[in-house]
Amino acid sequence: MSQEIQEPKPTAAQQFEDKFFRPFRIVISSILKYAWLILWVMISLAPITWMVSAAFSPVRRLNRVSVIPNPFEWSLVNYREIFTYRSSTGQMFPDYVEAFMRTLFIAGFSTILTVILSSLVGFAFTRYRFAGKKKVLLTMMVLQMFPSFMGMIALFLLFQQFGWLNSPSRMALIYVAGAIPYNTFIVRGFMRNIPKTLDEAAAIDGATNLQVMLKIIVPLATPIMGFVAVTAFMAPWMDYILPSILMPQNEVVAQWLFNINDPESQPHEPMQFMAGALFLAVPIMLVQIYMQRYVVYGLTQGAEKG
Amino acid sequence: MDFIKKLLSSIAGFLMKVGKFLDFRDKDDVTEAAERGETPKVDKSKAKKRGFQSLFMGFGQIRNGQWYKGYPLMFVFFAFLIAEIATSTYIYAPAEIANHPAEDTLYFFRDYGGIFTRGVWGFFTLGAVTTYSVYRGQDIRARGGIYDWAAGDNSRALLGQGIIVLVLLAFLAGLWYFSVKDAYRTRLKIEAGIAVERFKDWIQRVWDEFFAYIIIIPAVALITLFTLIPFIFSFLVAFTNYTGRITLGTQLIQWHGFTTFANVFGGMEGWGTFFRRVFLWTVFYAIMSSFTVYVLGFIQAMVIESKYVIGKKVWRLIMILPWAVPGLISLMIFNNVFADSQGLMNQVLADLDITQDVKYILQRIGLVGQQAALPREDLTGNILWFSHSGNAYLARAIIIMVNLWMGAPYFMLLITGVLGTIPFSLYEAADIDGASSFQKFRFVTFPWVVRATAPVIITTFTFNFNNFGAIYFLTGGGPGYPRAEIPQTLRGIAPGQTDILISWIYKLSFQSTVNHYNLAAVYSILIFLLIGTFAVWNLARLKSFWEED
Repeated sequence: MSQEIQEPKPTAAQQFEDKFFRPFRIVISSILKYAWLILWVMISLAPITWMVSAAFSPVRRLNRVSVIPNPFEWSLVNYREIFTYRSSTGQMFPDYVEAFMRTLFIAGFSTILTVILSSLVGFAFTRYRFAGKKKVLLTMMVLQMFPSFMGMIALFLLFQQFGWLNSPSRMALIYVAGAIPYNTFIVRGFMRNIPKTLDEAAAIDGATNLQVMLKIIVPLATPIMGFVAVTAFMAPWMDYILPSILMPQNEVVAQWLFNINDPESQPHEPMQFMAGALFLAVPIMLVQIYMQRYVVYGLTQGAEKG
Repeated sequence: MDFIKKLLSSIAGFLMKVGKFLDFRDKDDVTEAAERGETPKVDKSKAKKRGFQSLFMGFGQIRNGQWYKGYPLMFVFFAFLIAEIATSTYIYAPAEIANHPAEDTLYFFRDYGGIFTRGVWGFFTLGAVTTYSVYRGQDIRARGGIYDWAAGDNSRALLGQGIIVLVLLAFLAGLWYFSVKDAYRTRLKIEAGIAVERFKDWIQRVWDEFFAYIIIIPAVALITLFTLIPFIFSFLVAFTNYTGRITLGTQLIQWHGFTTFANVFGGMEGWGTFFRRVFLWTVFYAIMSSFTVYVLGFIQAMVIESKYVIGKKVWRLIMILPWAVPGLISLMIFNNVFADSQGLMNQVLADLDITQDVKYILQRIGLVGQQAALPREDLTGNILWFSHSGNAYLARAIIIMVNLWMGAPYFMLLITGVLGTIPFSLYEAADIDGASSFQKFRFVTFPWVVRATAPVIITTFTFNFNNFGAIYFLTGGGPGYPRAEIPQTLRGIAPGQTDILISWIYKLSFQSTVNHYNLAAVYSILIFLLIGTFAVWNLARLKSFWEED
């Protein structure tokens, strides 16, 4: 028995409402929505435009810089300063450039190792059964939860013991060790969706473990390895505490930013801080905006399976 | 190479002779039985006996004909042994002990032990000799030169070395256990008449079957060195009396059990109160910052995704900019915004000439305790956002708002994505039931989104609980507590009023007049227990985690 849903006949009052009130409501709600959005655009942008304004401002005092950049009054004096200032005369590069290159090295080095190692672990965890697998993964994830500052005292000792202080490549290893658990988790989530029939077919054709890994899984897993690479590359740029303890004499950009903005250290130049920060923030922001698509992807990784 | 081979085989031969000597039943009956064409009966007890007789690492393997396992195992063992002997001074012990018979037993391993025995000794005792003691007739202050061995002990280094040594010894013990077990198993096979694998077959089998282990070795080694060992170190510091008062090399650190834990929970006057204060603020901060960020993100997503809003992509792009700016930079910018006299906010308020009005309003709603222009305070009447001890609530409110600015876009993105996954049929069904738009939100959109984002909410909470940067780079923990409120026991290590546990830990470890490493370690353990449990629970809820691959 099929029954049509009977539309009730609109009353006169409803007709009136449909005709006059609804458009009115739409207009009101649209005005409210746009007002809300414009308000939040202003709130969102104000600190950023202030940074831009300060970076290109000829003014010497930060609180004299307007929030909106003034297109008629700008200068590159801050940039000239940070790209020429050398704290000691024998330096080949200015402090800022040197810190930048050092960070670039750390980021690159740790990225390569992180991608290789977490892919290997992710591969082992999805493709093989072995004793203690879950325990290893859980231990790695739980160890992450321990506040790292206390560990830093131990790391400082370790580095002192081996004479590794102020060595960028050794410090990069710490980033790698820190990045492996989370990235393994991510890689594992991706690799388990690569059908196992592929491996089995390859194994029947006589492929070895290594061949299965390098010729089948790795090519298919390049997207997630790219994701891991980007996150690993981004991490060292804005890390201040670890380098400040392990590399007191070799500044990375985060230390440069912190020190130049710190009223208690010399030189204290908030204007140059803004200029340096903007120069770093722009590429990072572009990457972040590009990476926003993975925000939802990360959630579906975690949640839809849950 | 030949020389080494000869040396190794002669050592092995010697050891085999020793083994034969120890192994007083004749071994040939198995072979004889095989020659007669019989299958020898497996005698487990015999194999067991033989297995345990080859307690020496690698020896059982060599006797079983598996030189490829035996030599590497023996090599590892000898590497440990040689390292121990080479770093020790046992040869001097007899003569010296004869000269100083009184102290010999106490410090034997300290003075003569090699890297391993000395490490274990140091781990348990944390040193014995201080600079001001006179030891074996020598003044310990005589550092350097020939009396260097008698310098005071550095407890911290001893603890660190002890942990590394114990980890290495644990590795050796594991390998040893494997060696004995493996020798026993192979022996069982031999007694059953099964041929022992050839080297080539073994390598092939290991490469195939243990491939998973082999490829995770580098990662596990890195994590052991840079995560596990520091973790053990900091965990153990909680059970010592290590603070900045101890001058390393002059005074000793001592194990003192749960004393620091007891001090935190009421043993030391004032510590419990301040721990409770900081802990409550941490929890409040973590909950509030996660909650506000989620709510605003939800609103933004709903507004941008609603009907009649054009240019959705442009709005979204602008809105996510705060999220795209690196957190460290945003926080330092806001630190400049709310600086005392050089700050943008004070300048804007002064330019608009509303400083006193704003201050008055903030005072009325209880956020500001700063009185108007006291003589010793800032003469301009600026609002001291993060530095006046009466303004704690203001500083806390600003922290949560800055966090909102930084974090809301992420949830906007996330919830926008989730909104797209809601099946349209649900809304159609709701329409048929005559649901109003609020009801549709209440019974369709909201439950769906919350269910999908629940794990992220929990992760955000745990992240904020330990969000060191949000405090340290913005307020630096300030404003401090009024001096009168800080008990004598906390002078120099007191938290600021906006410090959360993790930023207090940082101050305790690195920035106090007298660093309290043990207290910081205790707090770390407490955070670890709380957040670790939370995280494991969160992980355990994910079916995908436990699913067998």
